[in-house]
Amino acid sequence: MSFTRRAFVKTVGIGGASLLAARREAWAGLFQGSGAARPPRPLLLHNNENPLGPGEAVLDSVRRALAEGGPAGRYPFEHVAHLHQAIAEKFGVSPENVTSGCGSTQVLRVAVQTFTSPAKPLVAGQLTYEECAGYADLIGTPVRAIPLDRSLKLDLDAMAEAAKGAGLVFLNNPNNPTATLLTGDAVDAFIERVHSAAPDALVLIDEAYHDYVTDPSHRTQAARAVKDPRVVVARTFSKAHGMAGMRVGYAIGHPETIKRLDWEGSMALNVAGIVAATASIQDQARLQRESARNTEARRFTIDWFSKAGFASTDSQTNFVFVDIKRPAKAFRDTCREQGVLVARDFPPLEKSHVRVSIGTLDEMKRATDVFGRILGVTARAA
Amino acid sequence: MPVSRRSFLGAISPGTAAYSPAIVAARGREAFTAGGAAPTPRSEAKILLDSNENPLGPGRAAMEALTRAFVDAGRYPTNARPSMGDLREAIARRNSVKPENVSMGSGSWELLRIAVRLYTSSSRPLVTAAPTFEMPEKMADQLGIGVRRVPVDKDGRLDLDAMAQAARWAGLVFLCNPNNPTSTLHPARAVADFIARVGQESPETAILVDEAYHDYVTDPGYATAVPLALEHPNVIVARTLSKAYGMAGMRVGYAIGQKHTMDAFNRWGITFNQNSLAVAAAIAALDDPAHIEAERARNTEARAFTTRIFKDMGFRVMDSQANFVFVDIGRPAKAFKEDCARRGILVGREFPPLQKTHARVSIGTIDEMQRAGVVIAEVLGGGRPAPAGSVNEPRRPR
Repeated sequence: MSFTRRAFVKTVGIGGASLLAARREAWAGLFQGSGAARPPRPLLLHNNENPLGPGEAVLDSVRRALAEGGPAGRYPFEHVAHLHQAIAEKFGVSPENVTSGCGSTQVLRVAVQTFTSPAKPLVAGQLTYEECAGYADLIGTPVRAIPLDRSLKLDLDAMAEAAKGAGLVFLNNPNNPTATLLTGDAVDAFIERVHSAAPDALVLIDEAYHDYVTDPSHRTQAARAVKDPRVVVARTFSKAHGMAGMRVGYAIGHPETIKRLDWEGSMALNVAGIVAATASIQDQARLQRESARNTEARRFTIDWFSKAGFASTDSQTNFVFVDIKRPAKAFRDTCREQGVLVARDFPPLEKSHVRVSIGTLDEMKRATDVFGRILGVTARAA
Repeated sequence: MPVSRRSFLGAISPGTAAYSPAIVAARGREAFTAGGAAPTPRSEAKILLDSNENPLGPGRAAMEALTRAFVDAGRYPTNARPSMGDLREAIARRNSVKPENVSMGSGSWELLRIAVRLYTSSSRPLVTAAPTFEMPEKMADQLGIGVRRVPVDKDGRLDLDAMAQAARWAGLVFLCNPNNPTSTLHPARAVADFIARVGQESPETAILVDEAYHDYVTDPGYATAVPLALEHPNVIVARTLSKAYGMAGMRVGYAIGQKHTMDAFNRWGITFNQNSLAVAAAIAALDDPAHIEAERARNTEARAFTTRIFKDMGFRVMDSQANFVFVDIGRPAKAFKEDCARRGILVGREFPPLQKTHARVSIGTIDEMQRAGVVIAEVLGGGRPAPAGSVNEPRRPR
């Protein structure tokens, strides 16, 4: 017999006021007895996820939406408008300044699709988030990959030089995987230089880790993007918002640019993600708590590596990039054997550096115990 | 069970009104694909018969799995448990193929677009029908690729003979079976003969068989083209969980084909194109075939009822093998749609070249179709809808 929403609400034992009281753990607990026991999971420090996931208010919104509104069976595009409205309100802009995607990855791909061609290359750091370059390869767009500078920051001078004739310049700030930040002033100046070198090129600023930045010299480029058709800012709900599984990202920009970025429409967005993102963008307090939590765990991790004799870059993200003075692969493989997953190789630095995501403080204590054994660090160092 | 969409929206975002992006967003997949303004926001409509959705949504097993997956909402779908890999296996299991024969998409739209990218070019056009689901031709238009549109026959069936002729030197043939919006079906033999003929006359041409409405088919002559896709490197079957599975909001579709073909699709897919909640729900749904059988029976009954409403009013209805009907209403679809929308019923959009005479109406619950029937009878002026009492006679859904 067909399933009804009322039965759903009954089954899961919630409804009315108790919705708000339902805790995430309690909710999960309702079902844990019914499934087969799962093997213990390794520490997941390889994909820069928020270890706590979305906030309770966010999950309550999804529960409420799916229980009361039953939209899981309906195409979700009307809800996208509510999400765009909520994002626009958060930035003090208009919904025409907002578009969204299946994670910011879709936004990035579409930017490459619509602003580059075989004749209009992509400019990107040689060691940066790979989505743009990967998609450029697929569609036959040449990539000008600019090596990092000696401090493992994106080399803005060289990138601006390379921008001449380009269709798109990709700037990940802070940069994944190096965790480094470019100051607001530096990015401002860079944009001006790109504009004069390549007036038609779009500068795509990927601010995926924005909410984890603690350096006061940082500035989002969202305000500029709204006014400047040649700048767009990409953001994601996969990091500080803790929604990597729900696949929602967005872009802020000039209406003209936003319209071009609507190339694939909103077909890839799911209703749970849309509802969750709409709730999450309004929960600034939780973002601040998450940033504080991450900052403490990040400090602990960087200090541990430092005391053990391994330098990290100045991380402004939820991961650290560490010179472990040995190939990442062997380190990673041994970590996996001992129950800790760390990130993949990042050439050309795969012989010396590893990226480690920041979990909870407790997870980082357990992880650094493992790292200590593998790196031959004595208890004194840790 | 009636679903109060208005109260849902009120709870999430109070006081929201329609504004410009809402015009795009306020449409289902169908309207969204075609462009043009929606007369009424979906949230304000009483009955949604415009996007061929399952009115009951996902089954219970799917919803329970979905809520269990909340604990992993913060993990990428490859890290969540269950993971995207687990879903690939569930799809393979359900279709008796290997996981390597499956490529996943955020709905089948993504796979349709990938097929256009992979197989067409400026010198190798797309062959599609008129009318049929527009996503492939929309993609071809976006890429500047030529499109050969082959009109359906007088019964609304894809003209396979003309499509085979048009397929010579083409890059891709889009074959929607049953066809949206005409709801008509080609039996297994006809599809197999078509694939064999195109394979002989134009061996480089790929054929994408879109089986979005597969689970609603009741014609015993029908069979899936999955075995043909496993046999031929240039044949792909697309499926979606947006229809009978009732998961249009969750965005899950997949393609089946040879490993090498699916590898190419995988390269083009959006990174992490399925969300962790949908992955869990989809696995549960795929492992619950009894629910789909019940949904098919429910739709079949409501489809017969809906067909009778129109026939009793004297309108010709094409032989539907889907969860919608395509009706010769003898007047423009646009005015019909707008008149219905003003009365709270959303029906399908215009489908050129038949937009002057035909309308598409999705199948809701019997209760919804009864209420819609009253409105449709008013709008179309003619006779009356079928008497309500007759609904109770046929068999009940299992």
